[in-house]
Amino acid sequence: MFLIDSKNQQKDYQIRKASKVSLSRYGRSTVWVWFVVALVLSFFAFGAKTPVALTWLSGGDIVLFAVHRPGHRFIRRMFKVVCWQVGLIVTLYCLRFGVAEGLLSGLTTSWQLCLAFLPGAIFIETVPEHLITRMLTDVMPSRSAFVLATCLNFIPMVLAEAKSIYEGQVLRGARILPKDLANPGNWAEMLNCLVVPMMIHSMKLAQEIALAAKARDFGKKRGRTAWPGESDS
Amino acid sequence: MRRMPLKESLFLGFCAVFILVFRAIFRLHLHIPGHAMFFTVFFLFIARASVNRLPAATFTGMLAGLGALVLGIGKAGPILFAKFMLPGLVIDLCALLIPGLFQSTIFCLVVAALAGSTKFLDTWVMDWLIGMDRKVMLQHALFESGTAMLFGLVAGLFVVPVFRKLRSHGIIPGKSGIPDSSQSVQPENQSTSKEKQG
Repeated sequence: MFLIDSKNQQKDYQIRKASKVSLSRYGRSTVWVWFVVALVLSFFAFGAKTPVALTWLSGGDIVLFAVHRPGHRFIRRMFKVVCWQVGLIVTLYCLRFGVAEGLLSGLTTSWQLCLAFLPGAIFIETVPEHLITRMLTDVMPSRSAFVLATCLNFIPMVLAEAKSIYEGQVLRGARILPKDLANPGNWAEMLNCLVVPMMIHSMKLAQEIALAAKARDFGKKRGRTAWPGESDS
Repeated sequence: MRRMPLKESLFLGFCAVFILVFRAIFRLHLHIPGHAMFFTVFFLFIARASVNRLPAATFTGMLAGLGALVLGIGKAGPILFAKFMLPGLVIDLCALLIPGLFQSTIFCLVVAALAGSTKFLDTWVMDWLIGMDRKVMLQHALFESGTAMLFGLVAGLFVVPVFRKLRSHGIIPGKSGIPDSSQSVQPENQSTSKEKQG
């Protein structure tokens, strides 16, 4: 599973990287501007009740989409989400009001719901992670920002460790292959063979990082500090 | 209230990362609505059990929400944080009210179901903001929270065995079943003094 996932993730990463190039040359303030634009579009979607207002908002979303240019993978994923939401809401409306009345109002509500989460999804998909992390450090306490940034930076390492544990456990005969996990009865084995070793590893990793940070006088002063020699850019 | 040591904060950060990583991995293979609540509830429970402090699960939920924002996981729009923080808040409050929560499967199941049911609030608020019909809103929220509760319950079932296993590995010490934070995570200054002695 991890082998398949790593290939998918690599492909996904390349597509995401390509789609994020358009924004990576911009600075911090540009990211804030796009964040506010996405937020405003989302909030307007909650207030838009008429098809005219929704059409205007859709126009705004299309502009956002054209500027950010998210990849095909994102479009495919969003299409699935939108189909699921539209299907569920229209069915519920049809059951409540009958097909004639429920279909139109159900579709309008689904349209509104999609417009509420699409701007945020486009923003998150297309802005590079490090710029979003940097944006968050502007509004978060420095310590929490450090924890978040550190943990996100260690994701590749944690994934590599998980992969090696997974492969080792599969070789030992653990029933944690994708086809085995389709049966919820094997989830306990997945937790015991994969999650518990990963938790132990992460606890050790947390201890090492905390020690390294302490050795660099982290937390001695209030506010954000940097180790001499590391640039802030 | 004493400030949380960096090691504990980082461990909670890793629990948040696990929530996101497992959600992302299993989204590719399982197409069952609400299944993501399994990982959310499970790792929030483990975070609270390992770091016996009041905001541990809520803090993990907050970090998971921020991580989801950064990595582009989840589709809750402006209420993405609530999706992760509310189950954490429920677990924190229940751990405060029920001593020995992590040793009782029944309590874990009840709390896990309660944590899963917070999806009702997320969905209801989102639908209410949209201006959906009241009855449809209720049905939609009930359907979403029902599946989330079901997966929350399954996660609750695994908390006690994993808790025992982690305690046997020394990640969660304490004989009483209530993890003792003074033992469970070694203070950073002690570890450094040991390093110096070594």
